[in-house]
Amino acid sequence: MNDWIRLLMWLVPALPLAAAVTVAALGPRVLRGASHWPVLIALATSCLASLLLLGHVRQQPVGFERVESYWTWAAVGAAGAAPQDAEPGVPDALHPRGDLVVDIALRLDTLTSVMLTMVTFISFLVAVYSVGYMRGDRGYWRFFAYIALFVFSMTMLVSVSNFVLLFVFWEAVGVCSYLLIGFWYQKPAAAAAGKKAFLVNRVGDFGFMLGVFLIWTTYGSMNYHDVPRPAATAVVFDAAASAGQTDAAAVQPGVLGAERIRAQAYVGGGTGFAICMLLLLGACGKSAQFPLHVWLPDAMEGPTPVSALIHAATMVTAGVYMVARCTPLFGASPEAQMVVAAVGTFTALLAGLIALTQFDLKRVLAYSTVSQLGFMFLGLGTGTLAGITGGMFHLVTHAFFKALLFLSAGSVMHAMGNVIDMRQFSGLRKLMPYTFATFLIGSLALAGIAPLSGFWSKDAILAAVHGKAHVLEEALDARHELLASGEAKAFRTVAWMADAPAVHAAPDVLAAWSEVQLERGARLYGLLYYTAVFVAFLTSVYTFRMLYLTFYGPLRVPAAAGDHAHESPRVMVVPLVILAVGAALAGLWMDRSYLNGTHPFAQLLEATPSLTGAVAGTEALGAFHFGPAATSTAVALAGIALASGLYLAAGGSARREAVGGSIWYRLSYGKFYLDEVYDMLVVRPLAGLAWLWARADDAVVDGLVDTVGRLPLVLGRVLRSLQTGLVQFYALAMVVGGLLLLLLSDPELTGRMWTWLGGVWSSGVRP
Amino acid sequence: MDTGELLVITMGLPLLGAVLLAGLARRGRTAVRSGALVITLLTLVLALVIAWRFPGDGVVDDGWGVSTVAWLGTQSPWDIQLSVGLDGLGLWLFVLSALLMFTAVLVSWESITHDEGLFYAMLLLLECGCLGVFAARDVILFYVFFEFTLIPLFFLIGIWGSEQRQYAARKFFVYTLAGSVLTFLSLLAIVVWDAQQSGRMTFSIPALTSSLQLQPIRPLAWQLLVFWGLFAGFAIKVPLFPLHTWLPLAHVQAPTAGSVFLAGILLKIGTYGFVRFNLAMLPEASAICMPLMLSLAVAGVLYGALVSLAQQDIKRLIAYSSVSHLGYCMLGLFALNSAGLQGATLQMVNHGISTGALFALVGMLYERYHTREIRELGGLARRLPWLAFFLVVFTFSSIGLPGLNGFAGELLILLGIFQRAWGSGSAVAATSLQVIAVLAVLGVVLGAWYMLWMVQRVLFGPLREPSAVAGHAVHDLTRREIVALAPLAVLVVWIGVQPGYFLQRMAPTLDRVVVVAQDALQQGPVDPRATLGGGATAEQLVRR
Repeated sequence: MNDWIRLLMWLVPALPLAAAVTVAALGPRVLRGASHWPVLIALATSCLASLLLLGHVRQQPVGFERVESYWTWAAVGAAGAAPQDAEPGVPDALHPRGDLVVDIALRLDTLTSVMLTMVTFISFLVAVYSVGYMRGDRGYWRFFAYIALFVFSMTMLVSVSNFVLLFVFWEAVGVCSYLLIGFWYQKPAAAAAGKKAFLVNRVGDFGFMLGVFLIWTTYGSMNYHDVPRPAATAVVFDAAASAGQTDAAAVQPGVLGAERIRAQAYVGGGTGFAICMLLLLGACGKSAQFPLHVWLPDAMEGPTPVSALIHAATMVTAGVYMVARCTPLFGASPEAQMVVAAVGTFTALLAGLIALTQFDLKRVLAYSTVSQLGFMFLGLGTGTLAGITGGMFHLVTHAFFKALLFLSAGSVMHAMGNVIDMRQFSGLRKLMPYTFATFLIGSLALAGIAPLSGFWSKDAILAAVHGKAHVLEEALDARHELLASGEAKAFRTVAWMADAPAVHAAPDVLAAWSEVQLERGARLYGLLYYTAVFVAFLTSVYTFRMLYLTFYGPLRVPAAAGDHAHESPRVMVVPLVILAVGAALAGLWMDRSYLNGTHPFAQLLEATPSLTGAVAGTEALGAFHFGPAATSTAVALAGIALASGLYLAAGGSARREAVGGSIWYRLSYGKFYLDEVYDMLVVRPLAGLAWLWARADDAVVDGLVDTVGRLPLVLGRVLRSLQTGLVQFYALAMVVGGLLLLLLSDPELTGRMWTWLGGVWSSGVRP
Repeated sequence: MDTGELLVITMGLPLLGAVLLAGLARRGRTAVRSGALVITLLTLVLALVIAWRFPGDGVVDDGWGVSTVAWLGTQSPWDIQLSVGLDGLGLWLFVLSALLMFTAVLVSWESITHDEGLFYAMLLLLECGCLGVFAARDVILFYVFFEFTLIPLFFLIGIWGSEQRQYAARKFFVYTLAGSVLTFLSLLAIVVWDAQQSGRMTFSIPALTSSLQLQPIRPLAWQLLVFWGLFAGFAIKVPLFPLHTWLPLAHVQAPTAGSVFLAGILLKIGTYGFVRFNLAMLPEASAICMPLMLSLAVAGVLYGALVSLAQQDIKRLIAYSSVSHLGYCMLGLFALNSAGLQGATLQMVNHGISTGALFALVGMLYERYHTREIRELGGLARRLPWLAFFLVVFTFSSIGLPGLNGFAGELLILLGIFQRAWGSGSAVAATSLQVIAVLAVLGVVLGAWYMLWMVQRVLFGPLREPSAVAGHAVHDLTRREIVALAPLAVLVVWIGVQPGYFLQRMAPTLDRVVVVAQDALQQGPVDPRATLGGGATAEQLVRR
């Protein structure tokens, strides 16, 4: 049995890789138009393997993880690393040690297997769809090779158990997106978008790398998991270090390993906050959060299936996954959690506002992705079990309905002769009935209308934020009461919670929060809740705006479509239907709170080791919260009503015009001019600086060198002029030289000479 | 065969070949270049056999495959030896020299059209010199090879270079020679100090190393002086900012083979020298100068990257990127810990591979379009898919993309510098070291920027070719060109996926250096009053 699991674990990423290599080798000559077959087979098998793994993981106890090592990537001994001073209260084994061992290892736990299943399933459907969409493209085989490589990178990203390798595949995903976004590289816009995606991500990676290095210097390990410490590789060179380690435990504790989670040996304070912020910067790059969200809308230049893949299943979910994986690190820093939540909400709001006015169908969807990712970060930022599992829940449902929406939009684009501007077509409802139906289901799910999947997951996040604000207020009240009753000293311990209804045996996370933190937190999460509700309203407005503009109104088709504007072929429609079923029912299936107050998805996820620490003591998903559900449904319906009034009803256009001239409209339409701001603040100054320095390098640095180089030449010239060839001159020079030597050799004479010279000088100067 | 003999044969083969080619020169071009190819191929095979035989755990103590002949006879009081051997530091650079020469011969195949006999003879002499530098176990022998590499390269640039070749050759020669004179004096100072202490005069590098580690040069001021003397030669070779200005000129003017070898191997002689002599023999001076060296290195990283960003000539751009990448090597070396030193040594090899290949690719572009101006080229991916493929691979390798070789080196270097900045505990320098570490990571971002920008403008977008060539059919890479690049591409992936294989062979040698440097660091600043008498602190000395 175990060997089967080991086999499946490496098959999941290995098959897409094998397919990529096969297609790259055979595609151009042998496979040509059949290049999709290896990829489809590999992805289907991977998906099946992921499902089997998921089934296996479900039967395991809470906290289950399994790590399979394959080979050692690099091992560097600790020579040169000075052991840090002991920190009180932390078990000795958890102190940082220097030796760096990076194993190529894959891990299996619930979080990983959920991600694997989602990634391979969506990717498979997108690949099937691409068979129709990309037919006849010059780079047909290249496209499928890239897709397979992309899936390989993403499956590895969620499977590795080490921060270095996480970074490796983090970058690999970035490269694949660079290749795929710039797939039609002859289009300058596509090539530029690919580069922009890569560079903006690189800025995020800068933060991520720093974060990983700080983890390394703080925790002395890069592994998530605990590693048995082999005696043989113990440091031989650093005698001092090895002497101090003799009593150390038999394992080297990983950063997210069971040992450390049990001991809660996480660094808070400035270092903890810095680590989290740097990791968040990385996540902002990958998951397109403010201020690094600017690449995602431009990424629309790639083929539509790529957009679907990037937006729904891969790439953008990497940041969310990473933050969820690092929950214990974020748990150690309440401020960091608040920043995550705030960044998420702000991004959701910003992107929601921009999406209101865009005319490019795919661009609206892109900003909607940014906005929904913001929701996920908001969920993660609550730092409660409910919020984190809720965020992951939204990630999965969003994968379904966003892939559906993108592929439907691709279907529209396919039929409209690559026109995607919503001002150039309308009323496609009759022309493309399947596409319309699937797009409608996707829109309802995105807008959060019950009982479609988006409703359940968005609701889970809203409820979690609401709950968090509430819990913080209660904790604050409890502390005030405690203060009032004169037991001021007690609240530093956990004791103050003793008479509160203690539901959980796990250590309470709030115990470590100061009063100021509690107060700020309560206020912040309260504010975020209302903002998120407003964003939910915006979501349904822009979703139905695009639905109405595209599918309602009089039938108009752009000239580019010619007379072959039609429903897409079956190979494209079937994936749409499957995704539509998922988008409609996934929520109902994974969240059963309406039936019996259980949440199978959340329960599955809670078994992840990262979520078994202090966070396990917080509120979990399960109960159906009527309040937030009713609120969000109400605002979603209001949004639809507004969109109908503006875009469906007669006379709507006049009302639209009235809005059209306002500054808010222009700000939204111009995407708040962030691209321009970055260009002005970063790109231009840097280019200017580079230009200046290049000039300076030639003129100043090299000029200096040349000047020094010319010195011997000048000296030579001066000396040459003395070589006159006149014997009399040489004789004179000899006498003068001899006299000088004589003078200099006798200090008394020298002194007299100076006096004499001084006298001559002063007499000459005198009038 | 005994490995020592094998080593001597490997080094002698190019020398022999150079003489042979001079004889073949009259037989015409084909004979000459085929002869050169056969000889470099044989040398490469022998070098690979040597690498294959090298112990897998890397434990070689004072050298491996040693072969020694007393130069002045055994009776001479001057114990100068013709002694060669390899250890973990020199091994991969030795192999890389043989490999890159193979590439260099192949890329010169069509582009060299006059005096071929002399050209290939010069290349082989250059190879012999480089192999010798990395295998020499005697100070004098090292210096002979060290200087010897200049001469063939001087002629390669001066005779077969571009328009400004003579100015470039002269500048390169004078600049590097000026520095290496000081290096030579310092090497002699080391020998003399050791002779005074031990009463026997030895020129053997291993003997000097262990002896100087036991009895460091005193007073400390002398040690620092010797350090800066060695610095003069090595830092110009590296080149360390701000001593880099000869490099872009030499690169742009040099023929492709010259650029490949200059970037791939010759620059590494500088970093190699730093490890072999500065770090291993003068640990205290190295520890004292560490912050300053790290500052220069990180300045080079950022400066090189920014100047690259503004370049219009692809070759100049890659030349400046070398300044940046060699800055990383220096950062790793002066992190003075295992991760840094191993990363830096790996990065020397990585840079040789990727930048060597990039220069080769630029040469191939130039042969087709007779221009290296970025603005005159565009959209070539469609016209030259193979060239585009290799250019993208080596660009990714150069910017340190994970999964490829550059990443392994960069990561270890950065880990090393972070370990130094955060883990060393000395609060005084910690903050400035931390700033250096963060800036070094920033360099990674900039590095991606200028390389990708270049690649995007040249390969992607609408097709743009110089009008002179536009009508003609420009062909993609030939089989010969692919053979020249393919081994390098394989190495790029291999080192990226399994750097451990390469690291474990160099680790023991480098760890010996680290332990010594570590001791010097932990000792703290040696009480300077006792040794200097002047009351100056060690830090003040650095400023002087």
